[in-house]
Amino acid sequence: MTDSDSRWRALLHRIVYASAFERMVISLAALVLSILVGGVLILVSGRLTTCPTAATTYLGVGFCYDPITVFDRLFFGALGDPMNPLFKPFAGEFAAPFRAGWSPFNAEMAVTLRETTVLIFTGLSVAVAFRADVFNIGTQGQLVVGAITSAVSLTALGPVAPSGIAGSLVLIPAGLLAGAIAGGLYGAIPGALKAYADANEVITTIMLNFVAAKVALFLVSGPLQRADSQIAQTEPIPAAASIPSVLFDARTGFSLVALAVAVCTALACYYLLNHTTLGYELRTSGLQAAAARYAGVKTDRTIVGSLVLSGALGGLGGAIYVMMIVGDFQTGVPSYGFDGITVAILAGSNPLGVLLAAPLFGIIQSGSIVIDTTTNVPPQLVDVLRGLIVLFVAMPEFFRQFGRRFFDDDGGEIDG
Amino acid sequence: MTTAVQLDGITKRFPGVLANDDVDLTVEQGTVHALLGENGAGKTTLMNILYGLYEPTDGRIVVDGDERSFESPRAAIDAGIGMIHQHFMLVDPMTVAENVTLGAEPRKWGGLAVDADAAVRDVAALSEQYGLDVDPTAPIETLSVGVQQRTEILKALYRGAEVLILDEPTAVLTPQEVEELLSIFEQLTDQGKTIIFITHKLGEAMAAADDITVLRDGQTIGSIAAADTSREALAEMMVGREVLLEIERPPVERGSTLLTVERVSTPSQRGVPAVSDVSFSAHAGEIFGIAGVDGNGQRELIELLTGLSTPASGSIVFDGEVITHTSRRDRIERGIAYVPEDRHAQGLVMPFDLVENGLLGNQRTSSFTDTGRIDWDACHEHASSIIEEYDVRPPNPSASAESLSGGNQQKFIVGRELARDPALLIATHPTRGVDIGSTEFIHEQLLALREAGVAVILVSSKLDEVRGLSDRMAVMHDGTFVDTVDPDAVTEEELGLLMAGEQPARGEQQ
Amino acid sequence: MTTEVRSMAEIAQRLKRRWLELVLVSALLLALGVLFSTTGLTLGDVISKRFLGATLRLSVPIAFAALGGIFAEKSGVINIGLEGHLIIAAFAAIAGVIMTGSVWAGFLAGILASTLFAVLFAIVCIEFQADQVIAGLAIWLVALGLGPFLSTVLYGSVNTPQTGSFQTITIPGLASLPVIGALFDVTPPVYLLYVAVIGCWYVLNHTAFGRWVNASGENPQALDTAGIDVIRVRYVSVILSGVLAGIGGAGYALSIGQFTGSGETMIGGRGFIAVVAYLLGNYNPIGAFLSTALFAGLQTLQIQLQTGVLPASLVQTVPYITVIVVLAAVGHTRTPAAAGEHYESGDE
Repeated sequence: MTDSDSRWRALLHRIVYASAFERMVISLAALVLSILVGGVLILVSGRLTTCPTAATTYLGVGFCYDPITVFDRLFFGALGDPMNPLFKPFAGEFAAPFRAGWSPFNAEMAVTLRETTVLIFTGLSVAVAFRADVFNIGTQGQLVVGAITSAVSLTALGPVAPSGIAGSLVLIPAGLLAGAIAGGLYGAIPGALKAYADANEVITTIMLNFVAAKVALFLVSGPLQRADSQIAQTEPIPAAASIPSVLFDARTGFSLVALAVAVCTALACYYLLNHTTLGYELRTSGLQAAAARYAGVKTDRTIVGSLVLSGALGGLGGAIYVMMIVGDFQTGVPSYGFDGITVAILAGSNPLGVLLAAPLFGIIQSGSIVIDTTTNVPPQLVDVLRGLIVLFVAMPEFFRQFGRRFFDDDGGEIDG
Repeated sequence: MTTAVQLDGITKRFPGVLANDDVDLTVEQGTVHALLGENGAGKTTLMNILYGLYEPTDGRIVVDGDERSFESPRAAIDAGIGMIHQHFMLVDPMTVAENVTLGAEPRKWGGLAVDADAAVRDVAALSEQYGLDVDPTAPIETLSVGVQQRTEILKALYRGAEVLILDEPTAVLTPQEVEELLSIFEQLTDQGKTIIFITHKLGEAMAAADDITVLRDGQTIGSIAAADTSREALAEMMVGREVLLEIERPPVERGSTLLTVERVSTPSQRGVPAVSDVSFSAHAGEIFGIAGVDGNGQRELIELLTGLSTPASGSIVFDGEVITHTSRRDRIERGIAYVPEDRHAQGLVMPFDLVENGLLGNQRTSSFTDTGRIDWDACHEHASSIIEEYDVRPPNPSASAESLSGGNQQKFIVGRELARDPALLIATHPTRGVDIGSTEFIHEQLLALREAGVAVILVSSKLDEVRGLSDRMAVMHDGTFVDTVDPDAVTEEELGLLMAGEQPARGEQQ
Repeated sequence: MTTEVRSMAEIAQRLKRRWLELVLVSALLLALGVLFSTTGLTLGDVISKRFLGATLRLSVPIAFAALGGIFAEKSGVINIGLEGHLIIAAFAAIAGVIMTGSVWAGFLAGILASTLFAVLFAIVCIEFQADQVIAGLAIWLVALGLGPFLSTVLYGSVNTPQTGSFQTITIPGLASLPVIGALFDVTPPVYLLYVAVIGCWYVLNHTAFGRWVNASGENPQALDTAGIDVIRVRYVSVILSGVLAGIGGAGYALSIGQFTGSGETMIGGRGFIAVVAYLLGNYNPIGAFLSTALFAGLQTLQIQLQTGVLPASLVQTVPYITVIVVLAAVGHTRTPAAAGEHYESGDE
């Protein structure tokens, strides 16, 4: 074995075993694997359906859907097609990489960043709870509760708030606060049930998602329904409460300000978890509840606290959804909460990881709209990908075994 | 006499560890053979190889004159080898008969149903034959540890075991139950069975075995007939150097009363009294020992003292103030340090590094935090100083707790707790699963604390340890203090009776 | 002395259970009382053939999923993805009917799809040691995406077209009994459910395999050292859970004759309710069936109430809230000691 060979092996060993780095590799591998499986699914589906002309042909068999086109639309479409078709580095053609006329402030990009913004909140919501060993599947419900509360409070505050910039300075924080408080309180329910009645939070949070959706439907199609409206929606929030868009077209429903708030929230969560007593106690009780109690942590309160925090983050996401995207509350809220599970798992429950995973999922969500309009592949494909990513990230051992076999490493654990 | 089991040159290599290195063992049929050695000497690995749980890297296994290789326990069982593990392999909600017949159930209706009546009958007959006195219909979770152990023996016999391997069989028994076990050994060997038992207790090996084989660092040190050796000789074989079996406890003047516990009682999680009506006091400059068989309320009593739970009745006064119902955090702040029973679950957060583990319990202490913000530099310094002062290896604050050996984990915990500069230290089983070197070190630390005027409460199920270190010692049984005795005056026999809940003859008749 | 103490513990435990049951029952009675008094529903509406028949039909997905969940969890693998099994079975059953024109062929297709999901789940959890809860959620999320996706691919909408469905089989004589006659005037999946409940109870309590499943979840090492392959027992149990949940999902869809994939799909959390049903039934198939009847009864009630004065969307929350209340009341069930843990035997 040559010297460089062994060094290379040492590096590979680190790739296979090092923890933080390993997590990133596993997340990436899971993503790639999901896309591959998704590609197969697209091909198979393409045989199941009928079309006048085949979209692509492999090995002499025609398929109605072409996975390459689909994933091209999914990823590049979501960015507003930045690539110059003449830029082919692998073919030795180095034209300008970006397409002439491509602007980073295009509409597709706005949708991508818009989705990213909400997903940062829901991803953080799930991640923070995960760190306390709490499976909050209820971010969706907490987001709905936060959204409707935020919309209703803003509508109520509108008439008494000052106008113009001053109004925004009052209303925007008030709307965010209302969403956070409502989401936090809704999160406290499964928290208290888990801490004091030992009720499994996976089940209670899923049930509370249904309850939130049904109650919201009742409210916006009944007592809170907008006057003269045919659909289930509340009165619009005051104009001053809409988060202003910067650089991007206001009609796209994206605001850089909101994205900045989201990024700051992620940094704050990171700081909280890693540099404060509260975060230390939360992580300790998440890893080993008995050790936390030994250290004087009231683990029951930590469980409730983590779900309140998690719910508040979900509620914030809901407030942003109302104040940045829709401008009122209406039923049919996208499944940001479930995507948040994927984002958090992909991020290894690390708030900084959420900042990487959320844009990725923002691209996928935004790309699904492009797929819907430019191909005949159903956009529900993205929901399948969401599940596959969670599935693959959940089985790190698969990638470890694969890595070990591939790199011919004899490492293993010592039997006790 | 025929040879029941012969192991020749057994070697077992795990990644990075040589657990058995060319080990030889010969066991004669119809005898009791002790496999003696320290924790980590490779005794259990060797027996797991004989039982087919591990495959040896090298070596020969001869059973009843035939060379064998067992790729699974099933193969070993078929060859007449049975093993009773240290942690019983019993299914708690199932009955004795169900456990004994598990995997070999008598069937009826062409195999479609388990013949439960036949199982009970067979097990009752077997129990009768070897004088084991076990009720086949009792659920395991209602049985005492001794009876559970006998159920394990039945399990092996039911499968036709001729050779019985027992891993540390006496660790969880009262002295009386140990006596019973030894008489069961006799019954079994009288009927031609062979027994191999693993132990690290010299006295037991001497008392129970016909022959003793000593292992150290994965190697055979020697085999000897029990009648031809002495405790001292065995100890030297085990450790590889001369060992002081006695603990030196210099006289120290006892200080004022620091902790007064007055008639505390607490129910267990299942509503039964776990601690009932316990009173005692602990003084500065004194080690107060609490002896007893595990599971007699020691854990619950300690939880009351450390603030992990609060008593249903009674009071606890510390340093002149009533702390009966104060929180765990309050106890920490008052200077009560605690070396917990379970270092893996309580004392350390296994995935955390030593810096983070050094903060455990100190996370609200002003020297490490400032208005909720953690000063990681101070924490790093703190962990480094513990590592240096208490000789924790590897000396790397970034090492995760799970990467340390048991002895080093325990030294780190002791170091962290002593660094709090406590007025009272509560230590439960501080040397359980710890190598002899670290055990000596921890004993020295406890004695040094005593000399420095700290009150120490020591809970241990190791009689030698608790007797050697304590100035006064209480014996706990079934949630109560049976008696408080002078450790230097009490005899082993008296302690045995106390641990079983009986007053020795000199006490009052009840 | 010790035996005396043990029996005291048992009494205390039993008293605690009684107390919980009391709270639970009185809460339910109170809720029902409020419902009846505010909606004008009469007891006669509930104790009727129509009500019992509808409850049995709605029991199919929950009860079969619960039976499956019992096997998986008793063997030590928590299958929280039962919802996913139900969804995929429901879709595959309807697609199967559309493709073959045969209801029974569709039924088998549904079971097969769910079983394949169970095989995948088993490999992920047992071979690759995934966190069981996350893997279960993933199975749910995959099914939640895949059902509507394939429906759109094949039929252009997340909802499939209406197909043929199971017809009721009426047992002459028995079916004309008052009220309980409804038990004998049901579709094939309901009859299958009767068989399955008894069958599962028998297998778990009277066969060697049942013992092994129990031991595998309580103390896998005990089973392993007794010479039984724990991994194989767990595979069989998890796959069995997929088969049973598949029967539930397919049977439910085929009693309606359509797969609806909008929102949370037509399954609407029934797989999660199944988890609560078997917890409430203390892992006993008969207990799980009875608690299923409670939840299914509430859903029937909710459907009947939608024609009443209360807004439909509020009434729809009743089963979900009941699940939460029940779970909080029985939170202390004794779960198998090794549930959720990986098991590796010996050295590799």
